[in-house]
Amino acid sequence: MAQMETEVLIIGGGVLGAAVARELSRYKVDAILVEKEADFGWGSTKTNMCIVCQGGDTLEFRPEYRRSKLVWDSMPLMEPLCQELDVPFKKVGELALIRNNEELSKFQKLKSRAEKLGLGGHQFIDQDTLRQMEPNVTREAIGALYDPHIAIVDPVRLTIALIENASQNGVNVMRETQVVRISQEVNQFKVETNRGSVMCRFIVNAAGTSVDKIARLVNSDDFVLYPIRGYVGILDKNLGGFIKHEIHMRPDAPGQMNILTPSVHGNLFFGTTMQPGVRGDCSVKGRIAEIGFQNARKIVPDLSERDIIHSFAGFLMFRNWEVGWHECVVQASQKVPRFISICIGYPGVSAAPAAAHEVTDLLRREGLKLETDESFSPFRKASPVFNELPEEQQKELIAKNPRYGHAVCRCETVSEGEIVEAMRHGATTLDGVKFRTRAGMGRCQGGFCTPRVVKILARELGLSEEKITKKGRESRLLLHKSKELIEAQI
Amino acid sequence: MVEENIVCIGCPLGCRTTLRIDRHGNVVKITGYKCKEGRQYVLEEYHNPVRIFTTTVLTEKSSRPLLPVRTNRPILKSRLKEATLTLVRVRAKPPVRVGQVILPNLLNSGVDVVATDGLLE
Amino acid sequence: MNYSDIDVAVIGSGPAGMAAAIKAKEEGAEHVLILERQEQLGGLLHQCVHNGFGLFYFGQDLTGPEYGHRFAEKVKDLGIQVLLETMVTRISADRQITAVNNREGVLCLMPRSLVLAMGCRERSRGQLNLPGTRPAGIFTAGTAQRFVNVEGWIPGKKVVILGSGDIGMIMARRLTLEGAEVKAVVEILPYIGGLTRNEVQCLHDFHIPLLLEHTITETHGQQRLEAVTIAKVNKDKKPVNGSHQMIECDTLLLSVGLIPENELSRMAGVALDPLTGGPGVDQWRETSVSGIFAGGNVVHVHDLVDEVSWEAEIAGTSAARFAKKEELEKEKKILKPGRNIRYVVPQTISAQHDVTLYARVKDMEENVTLKMGDIFSKSLRVVKPGEMLKIDLSRSQLRQLKDDAVELSIEGAKRRQ
Repeated sequence: MAQMETEVLIIGGGVLGAAVARELSRYKVDAILVEKEADFGWGSTKTNMCIVCQGGDTLEFRPEYRRSKLVWDSMPLMEPLCQELDVPFKKVGELALIRNNEELSKFQKLKSRAEKLGLGGHQFIDQDTLRQMEPNVTREAIGALYDPHIAIVDPVRLTIALIENASQNGVNVMRETQVVRISQEVNQFKVETNRGSVMCRFIVNAAGTSVDKIARLVNSDDFVLYPIRGYVGILDKNLGGFIKHEIHMRPDAPGQMNILTPSVHGNLFFGTTMQPGVRGDCSVKGRIAEIGFQNARKIVPDLSERDIIHSFAGFLMFRNWEVGWHECVVQASQKVPRFISICIGYPGVSAAPAAAHEVTDLLRREGLKLETDESFSPFRKASPVFNELPEEQQKELIAKNPRYGHAVCRCETVSEGEIVEAMRHGATTLDGVKFRTRAGMGRCQGGFCTPRVVKILARELGLSEEKITKKGRESRLLLHKSKELIEAQI
Repeated sequence: MVEENIVCIGCPLGCRTTLRIDRHGNVVKITGYKCKEGRQYVLEEYHNPVRIFTTTVLTEKSSRPLLPVRTNRPILKSRLKEATLTLVRVRAKPPVRVGQVILPNLLNSGVDVVATDGLLE
Repeated sequence: MNYSDIDVAVIGSGPAGMAAAIKAKEEGAEHVLILERQEQLGGLLHQCVHNGFGLFYFGQDLTGPEYGHRFAEKVKDLGIQVLLETMVTRISADRQITAVNNREGVLCLMPRSLVLAMGCRERSRGQLNLPGTRPAGIFTAGTAQRFVNVEGWIPGKKVVILGSGDIGMIMARRLTLEGAEVKAVVEILPYIGGLTRNEVQCLHDFHIPLLLEHTITETHGQQRLEAVTIAKVNKDKKPVNGSHQMIECDTLLLSVGLIPENELSRMAGVALDPLTGGPGVDQWRETSVSGIFAGGNVVHVHDLVDEVSWEAEIAGTSAARFAKKEELEKEKKILKPGRNIRYVVPQTISAQHDVTLYARVKDMEENVTLKMGDIFSKSLRVVKPGEMLKIDLSRSQLRQLKDDAVELSIEGAKRRQ
């Protein structure tokens, strides 16, 4: 990389950095985005329940809370954005379960306040209607508050699509590039990374769990962030029809959320427990996993532990844990000119479209000239998903490229053609292939396809299989060649 | 007097037996078995512990780097490690038929190492 | 290739699929087709380089590939049609198969009858809800076996294995023979999950520590596995405080259970038995969908490959008879799992024919009596979940059954007064 020059450097390729990159690509602005991992959205973005346009926000909306406003402003933008980017968006609606009169009156208060602010759309539904809508929901619920606007997306796919569209429109995107040092020079920054340095005039610091660390590199410590660890569990696709709406229940203990939702791919996700943690420690703690599942069963009692196929933890960064996490960071630094930080915590995905507009606006106010680029195309086409195509198109695809006829992942029916295509779009690791194609996300969790995906990665990258990693850096899968260890003993 | 423990593999019970051996190497007493077949197995296992050895050898075919092999008869359990080291040097050259001898007379035991799968050219 | 007029289609070409196809052909089905997603016949047999196969079926101690080879030769000799590298993506309730390969694209087949022989998959880390980090270096035992025995790679050199099922113990030996250090096999129960033969020939032979009544409570390492924490467990399988210790390792293999692979069965509307994870079948191995039969690990996980083939042969025979429009006995008496019985296969039987039942117990017990209603009783020295029970019943015994349902149960040892 050596030395590069640009106008705007975006640090971080999660959903916010990606949204900013895409927004900036509408203009004749030179921009580079750097992401430290091998692929996009691997930090806070993927620690996500995939729900957007959170009804909870309209109920607890306070105009003075920045984050609420960003989510509210993003709501009408999300669906058209997903259509432009050819990523899944499903309006499933949300049911907030009501178990007793206390919960009922609380919801009534929140609903009327939301209505007074002009944020309507909720309806109370009674027990019978609830049973009809969701026959598997707990009998303990006497009704629910229904918000038909809530939708689900795939946050990592969305992030990748934003990146691809930004890249199509001229943004230079670099993976496995980590910012190490930033020095301020006259009217510009010198940003040193592990792969060379970038001279830029503006910086958008969208580094997720490292936002405050990056800010400190320029002594712009305007804010303190608290890492909160969230836990997500994934249930087998067989349970796909168990519930149709996103459902949540008021948590029985502080520091928890209790959400059960369908995902765009047909699984069910359950999520819970937001607890302070040590940044970077994405390990799933034993008790948390238990609590998570117990909570999910409060919503749908018929869930079985056997149906859990995967679970993971990740971090969301919060501005102010004590005050109820409604604050967020979308600001130009007070101390350092042309340095903008953005960190939304929860729900970052939902707020991304409006947040990107806001950042662009902040850049303009910091002096960035924004001249519309007529050649900008908002459309990005997703790579074909073989098992979603009608038979005729499947046949055509295989005739054009026989690799689409070679099935590699049997659980999610992913073909070699899709894997090679994902690699063409930038996947170089097992997890990269997984997030882009779903190979390895099915019920066998890569048991069958891993050796085959490794072979394809090695072949396409021109590397020996032992160089292939799970998620970049030192996460190699295969440490020794056959017989190598025995040879060493002779 | 020395004691040795041997688990019988004759049936799912998996009786844990104990053998008492005198200083001449004779089995003086066996305890813990529940049937005569078990006693027989344990005695044989003590005097002559043998195993069928199965492993893989490297091939000269890059698209199929390994060929599974076996000894066509059991060899002494104590020679398994040596057998492993010997076979590390072997390279199977296609074509190979199932049953084809890959390495005759392993460690001078009179036992051959044969291919258990085919290897096409 | 001719895909019209298929009498019997078999999905899968492992020890079940090949056996079913061969038997179907021998029983008179003219056009038999096997669909196999891998590049060769044999399924997982190719990666099972160890012996212990065919002791009963062939009366010889064969390795996996050798066992598979015998069947593959017969498939060839009988002129059974084979479609390799072909993945079945859908089956409908009227037996229409959609499959995909890179030569012919998308295929639609309508065989007269169908045998499901897809085998099983391994329980994954995700399903265990195993706490800790998500580094590289954690594999299920079968996936590691494929790397070690077929692809030519040893995942790591300091290995811990969770679960003492047969695959776990076999891999403990295999990795030791490939020069790795297997530091422990960790098993939550007080006894091993697989065959005693494997405990001896895989663990004792190589002095690999077996830690019974232990489990792994956490994985460590960000990029690559660095260690696991293990702990002793109490009777409720919960970790005992203060018993935790860390074992340094770079590889963790999981051998914690096999689950029949029934995505396609579900698509076809085949009813699954939650106790086995596979289709409920009658003694002809017909599922709840007429003309769809099943045999082998897809129905329930077997201990021996010989049994897999024998069971699949029943399915193959029945499929051939169905294709010839022969009537299959429809009477169905329900077999219920009673005390200490996890499941029984087949789930329904007729009282008009001899039948062999397969069952597994839930817990290990010694000096018990295996009973089926009033018609069968047998004393057993020991029963273990890892060793399947086989019960042969004759027509004359079955004719004594009066009710539509009968229970198979284990009666505990009688207490001395």
